[in-house]
Amino acid sequence: MNERAFVDRLTCVLCPVGCELEIGRDAAGELRVEGHQCDKGVPFALEEILRPKRNLATSVPVRGTAAKMVSVRLSAPVPREMLFPVLAEIAKLRPEAPVRRGQVLLADVLGTGADVIATRHQGADSEERPSGARRSDSEPRS
Amino acid sequence: MKGPVETCDVAVIGGGPAGLAAALCARRAGAGTVLVIERERALGGILNQCVHDGFGLFLYKETISGPEYAERLAEDVAREPIKVETGAMVLDLSPDRVLRINSREGYRLVRAGAVVLAMGCRERTRDMIEIPGTRPAGVFTAGLAQNLVNLRNLRVGNEAVILGSGDIGLIMARRLVFEGIKVKGVFEILPWPGGLERNVRQCLTDFGIPLELGATVVEIRGRDRVESVVVSGVDEALAPLPGTERIIPCDTLLLSVGLIPENELSKRAGVELSPFTGGAVVDERLMTSVPGVFSCGNVLHIHDVADWASFEGLAAGERAARYAAGERGPGRTIRVSAGTNVKYVLPQLLTAGTGGVEWSFRVKRPVRGARIEVTGKTSGRVYARKKYARLLPSELQKIKVQAAVDEDLEVTCHE
Repeated sequence: MNERAFVDRLTCVLCPVGCELEIGRDAAGELRVEGHQCDKGVPFALEEILRPKRNLATSVPVRGTAAKMVSVRLSAPVPREMLFPVLAEIAKLRPEAPVRRGQVLLADVLGTGADVIATRHQGADSEERPSGARRSDSEPRS
Repeated sequence: MKGPVETCDVAVIGGGPAGLAAALCARRAGAGTVLVIERERALGGILNQCVHDGFGLFLYKETISGPEYAERLAEDVAREPIKVETGAMVLDLSPDRVLRINSREGYRLVRAGAVVLAMGCRERTRDMIEIPGTRPAGVFTAGLAQNLVNLRNLRVGNEAVILGSGDIGLIMARRLVFEGIKVKGVFEILPWPGGLERNVRQCLTDFGIPLELGATVVEIRGRDRVESVVVSGVDEALAPLPGTERIIPCDTLLLSVGLIPENELSKRAGVELSPFTGGAVVDERLMTSVPGVFSCGNVLHIHDVADWASFEGLAAGERAARYAAGERGPGRTIRVSAGTNVKYVLPQLLTAGTGGVEWSFRVKRPVRGARIEVTGKTSGRVYARKKYARLLPSELQKIKVQAAVDEDLEVTCHE
């Protein structure tokens, strides 16, 4: 085995086998991956090291309601370094009730190609939910 | 008992991922009247506050957030003639399956052909792990903090320390960072993380939050509000090591120190509980020691994936419907026990002569090159064997035995 500089160690999460991957840099400066049992392991490790992507979830207040929040996430993961800039954009959102699950609250946030979408229905204070539980609303129990 | 007693075929107590699935499957398996009783005002249970994604990979074949998972399941339930009562609480459950329900319609009794327990779990608190010190504001269980932040838009503090590395604690570390709260570290008394590896990476490593293993909080300081915590290393017996203490200034302490199945009602009904899972002892039908009372989800044992709680609910719901329709299991049962390195195995009981049963199990500690074996205690015959590169206590695993079994079994894990 050649001398290699250790870069990182990670567990592949693409399937339940969970190969433990070790990423090193060889003498030529190239990244090398070891420990994968299938051919998905290498691209997984390289993306995680070079261009890690993450989804993010948070919740924002809904206008036109007393104290309701709607949970949101991104429609697709974004480069990890974009998490905080994207969060700052999400923090400005004040969607008007009613909000529907899957509704795009902010399209193509900061040019990432990902949309900010609502992940639940949130009615106006007086409104019943159209489906799901009878007589229930999503206001947290006090 | 005075007054008219309402009846139903299957009563499901709890409207979270397990209970809703149980109701659905009970209905699909032919139960005429299915009743779901949920204490909160919304269906979905804890999923409503789990806004992060990673749910639904097994049930819906895509990764979605907790609220989406809850709504989709609730919509499936709404399409069936299932009676759902939210804001309703079951006060008591008798061994002959009479539920005392307090709801918006008032107090009433319901006699059920079969009952599915799906009440979920509670978090362990500061009192339960007995952290010494003062009693200031600023000490939260991780799930409570999650509720305050995600559902009520409240800021829990400015500088936080997290004790325990369970998944909720890890998820909350990231959540606090997103809210502009500094997380000074996560401390775990065991030598390995309690949560999934993916969460350690994406919730801690990504944000430079230190994870210190083999360390715990030995004192909470502060008069009105937390001012600092004292952290100490521990020895192999998990006792604090004198001389290793250090003070960490902070105004908030989050506890992610374990979950406990909420079996108060089960106890009222006389259900036998397991000291290893904290939930009911069940057979392969997920039926408890009380005939006609079934258990699934986190009230049965703690799950790390909501989907598995739902799958368990589906199974319990189907069996409950069949019981309500008059199906009774044959008599003799055999016992299944957890052997070397195995924390628990579920179901613990099996009707003699049954084959094709899948067991859930957890290991006691991380094991590399693990060999799981299901062995007959009398014959020594190995009924099933499975190999894993490594097993972690944080991951619930499954193993299936195809053959019909007619002797007590033991599940072991060897390196």
